[in-house]
Amino acid sequence: MKCVLCSREAVSDLCTYHQGAKRKVEASYRLWTEAYGEMEWKDYLDKVKRNRQTGQWAKEIAEMLEGL
Amino acid sequence: MVCSAQGHLYGISDPFGERAVYPVFDVEWYPSNLVEEKNTSAARRIDAIRRLAGSAAKFVNACDFDAEGETIGFNVLRYACGDKETEALRAKFSTLTKDDVLVALRQAKPQAGAGLARAGRTRHLIDFVWGVNLSRVLSQSVLSSGHTYRMVSMGRVQGPTLAFLVKRETEIREFVPLPFWRVSGKFERNGMHFVARYSKGRVKSKTTAEGVRDDCKGKEGVATSVVKSTLQVSPPPPFNTGDLQKEAYRIFGFSPSRTLTIAEKLYLNALISYPRTSSQHLPPSINYRAILRGLERFDRYAKLAKNLLEGTPNPTQGTKADSAHPAVYPTGEAPRRHLNPPEAAVFDLISRRFLAAFGPPARRELATVRLSVGGHEFLLSGGRTLYRGWIDSYGRYASASDVNVPSVAEGDRFRVVKVAVEEKFEEGPPRYNQSSLLEKMERENIGTKATRADIISTMVERGYVEGDDMRVTDLGLAVIETMEKYAPMIVTTKLTRAIEEKLEEVENEVRGEAELLRETIRSIAQQLVGLSENEDAVGREINAALAATVGASYVLGPCPVCKSGQLRIIRSKKTKKRFVGCSNYALGCRASAPLPQRGTVRTTPKACPHCSWPVVHVMAGRIPWRLCVNPMCPAKCEWKKA
Repeated sequence: MKCVLCSREAVSDLCTYHQGAKRKVEASYRLWTEAYGEMEWKDYLDKVKRNRQTGQWAKEIAEMLEGL
Repeated sequence: MVCSAQGHLYGISDPFGERAVYPVFDVEWYPSNLVEEKNTSAARRIDAIRRLAGSAAKFVNACDFDAEGETIGFNVLRYACGDKETEALRAKFSTLTKDDVLVALRQAKPQAGAGLARAGRTRHLIDFVWGVNLSRVLSQSVLSSGHTYRMVSMGRVQGPTLAFLVKRETEIREFVPLPFWRVSGKFERNGMHFVARYSKGRVKSKTTAEGVRDDCKGKEGVATSVVKSTLQVSPPPPFNTGDLQKEAYRIFGFSPSRTLTIAEKLYLNALISYPRTSSQHLPPSINYRAILRGLERFDRYAKLAKNLLEGTPNPTQGTKADSAHPAVYPTGEAPRRHLNPPEAAVFDLISRRFLAAFGPPARRELATVRLSVGGHEFLLSGGRTLYRGWIDSYGRYASASDVNVPSVAEGDRFRVVKVAVEEKFEEGPPRYNQSSLLEKMERENIGTKATRADIISTMVERGYVEGDDMRVTDLGLAVIETMEKYAPMIVTTKLTRAIEEKLEEVENEVRGEAELLRETIRSIAQQLVGLSENEDAVGREINAALAATVGASYVLGPCPVCKSGQLRIIRSKKTKKRFVGCSNYALGCRASAPLPQRGTVRTTPKACPHCSWPVVHVMAGRIPWRLCVNPMCPAKCEWKKA
């Protein structure tokens, strides 16, 4: 099976790299809501995607989750 | 009679010399012309040395005094001169000035031992066995799975070094920044304005940061403490190879291998001492005064050298030592030929660093004022240079910026003009550059001062990393992923560092080289089993990455001009710039388009709805964007008109 975001081998629908990035994106949501007081999941994904410090795989994951 | 070797005249090879054969452990030294096809002059040189050796009564090895020089000299004496390595005398010098070389030849002595040469030869054997076996198994896996030969190399030091880069690349690509807030206050007293920062630094919550701002509104600030201190800043130690490479990268942007090449040219022109050294020491035996007198003859150093000569020159010494050579220093000789700008730059850097090492410490005054406002504390800090000392000698290479703190006394009161809250985001882990990677290799004690720069260059040549910021390619990621799966020891520092330590024992003659070679071969053989048993999987995984790097990323789609070719991303060999071109260029199709030169360009399966040219995905800066590559796309023309 191929990763839906790149051509690497995947165990489920994501390769190990994108799986790692997905875990990071999901785990950081709690820290962002603590920092801002409150924040919608979609707003969070949009901000993560647009942030220039966000890594490439994390951006791709944020874009994918936003489309779900 | 003096004859030169001009580098290694003997190299290592296996008797098969076939890239499909592995494992190979039965390796031997051969004349370099039999090992490397392009080294055609080695045979003539060996022949000349052999003829001269036939009538020589005495032999003096005057190669560079380090592991490489010892290896070169040992091999020439053993193979070309007929087992003369034990009876030959050894001349040792650190500069190629006429005086130093003559003294070294006069004082040539019998070698006490051959530890350095044995360690050098063993290092070559180990690295060959390591590299040839792993590279062959990887390349053969790629060939058998993808039917195309592609050199995929893996060296003893290259593996762990690439693994550092992959680890960092993974951290960077999966990084999610956390927000934080910076609070700063603008204050006024007697018409003078200044900005102080909130003493708690980063504030992790927006509510807390805004709370600080609200608490300070309409309040008055009071200076609760004013602390001034004087700091003595010692001169930097003299250069060893690594420090020189790092500093040349910081100041001139020269890669470590470029700096070493330039330094070697300066050494061969007798302008500086031997540049491959770990030492940060300048022993008195190099004759400080003579060198300073030499530098006094250069206009730009005359005043600095004269000042130092008026006292008793005594340099700052670093902590790192090297028994073979002192730190890098200028000989004081004037160049006999015009130095090109990079050579002149490195020469100036070395000369100024040498002069700076003799300079007196600089003195800086540091000041910190604490301001209390509405129950919160703000800090105002700055510093200024009171006495420049060695900084004058190091000139523009020294960095000492001054930030003046206004004259304030405890109890002084200030008006709060504004308290600002600024949203910030954590920065991702920094990328390695050639200099910081070199530093990492030194810290991890892998590779040598002579080989580290070349290892970095090889990784770029192999396509494992690209760009000045050492971005790991899909191929680099796949190679490390595969190694970690099937031969994990190869990419850890543990094994390679253990070998380095044992090589030091060979050098100190407390361990035999045959024993170390046997041990290493056993380790490699164990790791090869994992790779060769999974040859198909290894080949498949690396081929997939190669396709991603070389194929899929470069083929954009069918050419809308000739309709039969493929538009591809091409990098110009001349300008190194990337652009879009058609595969039918040779058949006359001139379809081409420029591409952004910064960031990553990825293919997409989409074609532009306006012109049917391919659309690419560009990652450069804040937001990824999609771009129709056709510069004449009707949509773009309309946009321009608008």
